[in-house]
Amino acid sequence: MPRLDRLSELQRKASLAYPCLLNDSAPFTHMARPLSAARLALVTTAGIHVRGDAPFTGRDQSFRVIPAETPPADIVQSHASIGFDRTAFQRDINVVFPMDRVHELVERRELGSLSPKYYSFMGAQYPPYDGLQQDTGPQVARQLRADGVEVVFLTGT
Amino acid sequence: MGVLARVFEEHGLATTSISLVREHTEKVKPPRALFVPFPFGHPLGEANAPDVQTRVMRAALALLDESDVPVLVDYPEDIYSGQDIDLVQASGVTRPDHSIDVAFEVTSLRPYYEQWVASHAGRTAVGVTRVDQRRFRGLVRVLEAYAADRDIDVPEWNTDVPLPQFVRWAADDLKAFYLEARMQQKPGDSFQELNTWLWSQTALSNLLRSVRDRMRSQGDPKLDYLAIGIAR
Repeated sequence: MPRLDRLSELQRKASLAYPCLLNDSAPFTHMARPLSAARLALVTTAGIHVRGDAPFTGRDQSFRVIPAETPPADIVQSHASIGFDRTAFQRDINVVFPMDRVHELVERRELGSLSPKYYSFMGAQYPPYDGLQQDTGPQVARQLRADGVEVVFLTGT
Repeated sequence: MGVLARVFEEHGLATTSISLVREHTEKVKPPRALFVPFPFGHPLGEANAPDVQTRVMRAALALLDESDVPVLVDYPEDIYSGQDIDLVQASGVTRPDHSIDVAFEVTSLRPYYEQWVASHAGRTAVGVTRVDQRRFRGLVRVLEAYAADRDIDVPEWNTDVPLPQFVRWAADDLKAFYLEARMQQKPGDSFQELNTWLWSQTALSNLLRSVRDRMRSQGDPKLDYLAIGIAR
């Protein structure tokens, strides 16, 4: 996003007032292999999912599985808001969820391989984040590891 | 998103992420994040610009080499330099003064919407209500009845879904339908031009404003939350 000085006063104030978690440090996992040998998964908080799956609702902390080979035509987005432009996603899924780009990086041997499954969560979350931290986040982490994933690339919208 | 990155990292996965609001990322502290100076809705820069998207991805993936976390790096390329990236809102434009019937407007846009879908291998953001777009006049009737506080007796409303949520999804589906029809008509329009058109030129925009006003008049914070996503 934008630097806050390029937003309207209303949008800037809303962003600054957002009740983020405050942390003093970050967890760290050492990569055992170089990226060119590692398996990567995409995870997004853009609220996208396979057409026909249950839509997300506001502040929903559940997740949806997106099989990696899902055609873009079968992916919809139930996250919609006046807070972000959706026409970019409508024109090209890769601007939010770079499914084609990661394939190209594998072909160029910059990435080792791709997870068979990607994951999506709802955006614009609001505290408490207990569901994400204690339930759905760890569930997805375990599923990713079971699929041999070592690296996760996260996008919002 | 920073919360999830932290959870994944705690569970033995190395993460890198795109930061859309630097100030938030500084607080949440995901292990590795690339701050991008792009509009909301454009985390990898620009639609149909694979080179830009790949450059952004590579910059984010390069952070995986960092072991001193948290690391938050600014992406250096400002592809929107000099442009207004604050998304156009309903309140920021002059509302249309015509009184075209919204259902008629939907019908007139349908051929363009269908061309859009056909030329994008079936891809469309429309579909959250699961109502076929050929029955979107029914969605319009739902919104009109809701705005006017009238009983809603149309088959398009799936009564398993609470009415306010269905109204919200109907609004989202109609917006997606309109914008895809417009992108088919005016493929070179920027996202600001498209959103300006939606809010200043369409009869739908006035209906969306009325729906928002009716939702907000109830004094219910849950409805306020749904309403703010419809129009501001």
